[in-house]
Amino acid sequence: MAVTNTLKELENAILEGEDDLAQSLAQKALEENIQPLNIVNEGIIPGIEEAGELWKKNEYFLPDVVMSAEAFKMAMEIIEPHLTAGEFGATGKVVIGTVAGDMHTLGKIIVIVMLRSAGFEVIDVGEDVSIATFIEKVKELKPNILGLGCYMTTTMLDMKDIIKKLQENGLRNSVKVMVGGVPTSQEFSDEIGADAWGKDAVDAAEKAKKLMEVS
Amino acid sequence: MGKEKTKKGSGSKGLAGAISGGERPWIQVLAQMHDHTMILAEVPAKKFYYDANAIVDAMADVTGYYDFDMFNPFADLYNYEIEAMGAKMIYGENSMPTIDFREPLIKNPEDLTKLKAKEVDWRNDGRLPYVLGCIELSLEYGSNLGMFCSPFSMAVGMRSFPALIKDMRKRPQFAHELFTFITDDVLLPYLKVQNEVCDILIAVGADAWACVPNLSVKDMKEWVVPYNERLLEKAKKIGVMAMNVSGDYCEERLEKFDANVLHGCFDVEIASQGAPSLFLGMGRWQDYPLEPVLDYLAKYREQGINASIIATLNARLIRDGPVEKIISAVKRIIDAFAREHSVQFLFGNLPADAPSDHIHAGIAAVHTYGRYPIADNLDDIELKIPKRESFKEWKQKISKNQ
Repeated sequence: MAVTNTLKELENAILEGEDDLAQSLAQKALEENIQPLNIVNEGIIPGIEEAGELWKKNEYFLPDVVMSAEAFKMAMEIIEPHLTAGEFGATGKVVIGTVAGDMHTLGKIIVIVMLRSAGFEVIDVGEDVSIATFIEKVKELKPNILGLGCYMTTTMLDMKDIIKKLQENGLRNSVKVMVGGVPTSQEFSDEIGADAWGKDAVDAAEKAKKLMEVS
Repeated sequence: MGKEKTKKGSGSKGLAGAISGGERPWIQVLAQMHDHTMILAEVPAKKFYYDANAIVDAMADVTGYYDFDMFNPFADLYNYEIEAMGAKMIYGENSMPTIDFREPLIKNPEDLTKLKAKEVDWRNDGRLPYVLGCIELSLEYGSNLGMFCSPFSMAVGMRSFPALIKDMRKRPQFAHELFTFITDDVLLPYLKVQNEVCDILIAVGADAWACVPNLSVKDMKEWVVPYNERLLEKAKKIGVMAMNVSGDYCEERLEKFDANVLHGCFDVEIASQGAPSLFLGMGRWQDYPLEPVLDYLAKYREQGINASIIATLNARLIRDGPVEKIISAVKRIIDAFAREHSVQFLFGNLPADAPSDHIHAGIAAVHTYGRYPIADNLDDIELKIPKRESFKEWKQKISKNQ
């Protein structure tokens, strides 16, 4: 009963965006000898998934989702070192970054959390990332999905060149490309030959799962 | 209409003109178009975003090429004040300088104390001379609007969005201190300089961060409106009407459209501007239902106020098209509002690679369907979209005629 309560409290702490509380409850759950993977699957993920659902219902706005995402990150910091390699993140590997000259951090932060809650391993290559770096990272890390973000219509044009470079380097068939950010659209995504467009973080995670053929 | 022909008095004076029926015989249209102009006019970013003459000349040319009715010489307005205060920036080779959110200006509350002690020269620090130059040069084209970044968006720029939200929820006293600092110690002296150097009487504050769904209406009423009203009140005393464009409704998911939330946004907009004007801004106005807007306007009409409307043509719609959808979006807005209300169109943040044909079609639609008096049945009007030369060809033609 105590175990169930801790996980329920953890779920609520993440849903309510109480980051310090989420961290201490994650620690408490470990001390109660709950399996780390169970803490993730029964406490942490339900909290962030519920936040996503409330976002879809107009009951949560961006600040609520941001706070839940922060709480998710804090709780995962405690649990992750205790997870066995490959135990979490089996849905697929995503390399994600913001294109050169751009600083689209907020959307990326939330997308990363939503992807991780969907079981993806996510490698954040940062902001203001050059085309060459994206290509290097795809070669080196062999992700299933490459996620590209931006917020300016000038920097957005780099996304097309990144896909072109993936083709030139013989990498395009081995990686799906997702794009997102304020100026992007489904039409833009289609036009540059990306595989999916995320209209927001929740949508991005859902589409990433579809790309991996995970329901 | 080349820059040499851009009408004098078509700037902020023209804004008033448009609201009362306009100097030209149709609904007036302007654009936010810095990225598009930079690419179309082939001005390098390192010049366009640093040299007031370069941006104003290019903007004037592009305004003329498309036949916009009003001149708007500004790039995005979210960086200048905090860059002048020492914020770390990313200076992209091909893009507008942007704040480096990885290292915010105020990393912790103690940094605010240090910032308060810092002397900032609101005429000369950072790229402020560039902004002041833009305002001064645009006087030549009839515009005399000042520009600034509104308190909420500036706070985001100083702290980053997640940190600011955490401040608002867990350190409200610090958050209030920050907003008060921005309003009283950053924006007021900066507006005073704009007033002294450029004689501006009206200044417009950009506040893209303060919108739905970035904030709830409740958050905006608690954190955005009070500081916008404070700025309005204090700026009046130095002779400037500081109108903040806050409260935009930008819901991306159509299934989440909510008339009550929209009405809350309108409340925020009106309070923030200090004028009964609705901003149908950067959201999907080609898709949202318009009845809730009419309902809100009716409420004002009952009080004897005929609120005006600034209607934005969505940037992605302009880029992605097709032309038919662009025309339909323009026509729908005019049909719904323009017979009873003053309407002005804004082509919102024209994308760098938006096809010129799409923009020409949108303007032709505004100028045709929006011709005064607005026709009873817009379907009776034939829309002819002129076949236009390229920008380069137009420039050559203008040069020959000079």
